[in-house]
Amino acid sequence: MDAESDVALDILITNVVCVFRTRCHLNLRKIALEGANVIYKRDVGKVLMKLRKPRITATIWSSGKVICTGATSEEEAKFGARRLARSLQKLGFQVIFTDFKVVNVLAVCNMPFEIRLPEFTKNNRPHASYEPELHPAVCYRIKPLRATLQIFSTGSITVTGPNVKAVASAVEQIYPFVFESRKEIL
Amino acid sequence: MSGPRKCPDCGSSDIVDDAHYAQNQLVCADCGFVLTEGLLTTTFQDEEHLQEVTYSRSTGQNEQLSRCTQRGIKRVQDLCKVLRLPAVFEDTALSYFQRAIKHPSFHLVRLEKKEILVGCCVFVTCRQHNWPLTMGTICSLLYADKELFASVYLAVLKELELDVPALSLMDLVKTHLNSFKLFQSSASIPARFAEDKDKMVARTIQIVELASETWLVTGRHPIPIVTAAAYLAWQSLQPAGRLSCPFPRFCKLAGTDLPPPAHLRLKELNDILLRMASQLAWLRVLQVDKKTVVKHIGDLLQHRHFLVKSSFSSGDAEASSATAAGQGSESSPRVAGCAGQAEGCPPGGKQKSSTGQRPLLPPCLLNPRKRLRTAAPSPAEQAITGDEAISDSEIEQYLRSQEEMREFRKAQARH
Repeated sequence: MDAESDVALDILITNVVCVFRTRCHLNLRKIALEGANVIYKRDVGKVLMKLRKPRITATIWSSGKVICTGATSEEEAKFGARRLARSLQKLGFQVIFTDFKVVNVLAVCNMPFEIRLPEFTKNNRPHASYEPELHPAVCYRIKPLRATLQIFSTGSITVTGPNVKAVASAVEQIYPFVFESRKEIL
Repeated sequence: MSGPRKCPDCGSSDIVDDAHYAQNQLVCADCGFVLTEGLLTTTFQDEEHLQEVTYSRSTGQNEQLSRCTQRGIKRVQDLCKVLRLPAVFEDTALSYFQRAIKHPSFHLVRLEKKEILVGCCVFVTCRQHNWPLTMGTICSLLYADKELFASVYLAVLKELELDVPALSLMDLVKTHLNSFKLFQSSASIPARFAEDKDKMVARTIQIVELASETWLVTGRHPIPIVTAAAYLAWQSLQPAGRLSCPFPRFCKLAGTDLPPPAHLRLKELNDILLRMASQLAWLRVLQVDKKTVVKHIGDLLQHRHFLVKSSFSSGDAEASSATAAGQGSESSPRVAGCAGQAEGCPPGGKQKSSTGQRPLLPPCLLNPRKRLRTAAPSPAEQAITGDEAISDSEIEQYLRSQEEMREFRKAQARH
């Protein structure tokens, strides 16, 4: 049972969430009036602004904190965040692009085999939790990487972690365990 | 303990047992030295006259604990009584509850969550002792919201650092079938529908094992599978009278409700049984379809290991030879003989496999959900560093021009 075969697994990053601060107070009503592609949520106190080219949705608060979601790589997230800061600058605010940080990365990976979930949970007891009544996948947490993996019986694995490197190492770490509990053709 | 005792003072061995004001004392008859007070013997006679009050029933507990904790403790005890759990479970559940209620995340919350915490402690205790209790049962007893229960349950597992083993499906089958009302004929249940409990339980367990081997159980809710398996087992035990009874009517007769996924599970089980039936030559000739396969469930279950194995390997004919074909009899000695013959047949046998047999796959792979995935980034896009210059024209598209702003203001003013 060789788990070190030369199988190259495609890890597809589906979402990167990042934050940055503009270090100045933002007038949400002005943004809602003068910006195109914006939605003003008055009850919650935020503005949603969508960019087209890097397909990104930004949530803007009046304190100057901005959260960007929807990018497919860390560089694209920074690309989109800077464009957003530039548009806010053009609207007339004294924007300084600071404290840019990638907060969360969501990736999907497909294993070429199916996985027996009850067996996997039994072998990986403290880290894996499987409640079929709640969710069809096993939730596996890797504490040192601060990564969470959701392992489905079809072999599809969803990973969330603080950055792309953590996500890649999480998949590398889980591969041997998942390989152990794979479905063999009888 | 109760051997001959000596007085430590004078050394005499004349010790009498004296009940002074109903308190037992051991006193030396010579010098009057009191050796010990209190109970020394543990004979059955003595214990009958004991009036021990447990701490939980005394008032001492009430003075030391807060009202919320007291109420929670009482709720845990009531829940254990309702579910008729052994006393050990009650003690464990109480200890979990008392540990959990001290955490601020369970103490400083609204009453609904505290009620759910009670249910979670009992649920965790049952799971740890492999007592088959489902979340659905607990939620219905507490009139609780399922999502809220799920979140409190996961929080309890995290805070108390508990390890919970998986739900045992076989025990769940037995408990669930206990609640069915089909085992005696009564006013609402005609005699031909009533069934013997042990036979039905045994057959349902076999069908559930078959489902777990063929990937119908992984990741799914357990109760709909058990309900669908019970329906098939019940029908197959007396197919003559029961084939015409539909699934909802069966559930009404049994006194359980029909969970929505159960129809899908029933369909999947029928597909599996049909696949297995196609591996048996005498059933192939009979041309079973999903309505009549129920009649043959007994045979299929008897040889399920062999049939499932041959279904999994992609459709090669390992079926029994043609001598068994055309008979269609269901008597057991016949079946045993044919199966023996089939197993003796070498793989890649003489018969041609029926065309178009795809291999047996889990249902999630047979009906994949189409997901729109963006293509992998092209090399040009991969060269993004994030620090490129931004042109003004790019930003102009995100800002409104003066005319647009005027139009927008006018539109807003109308509201």
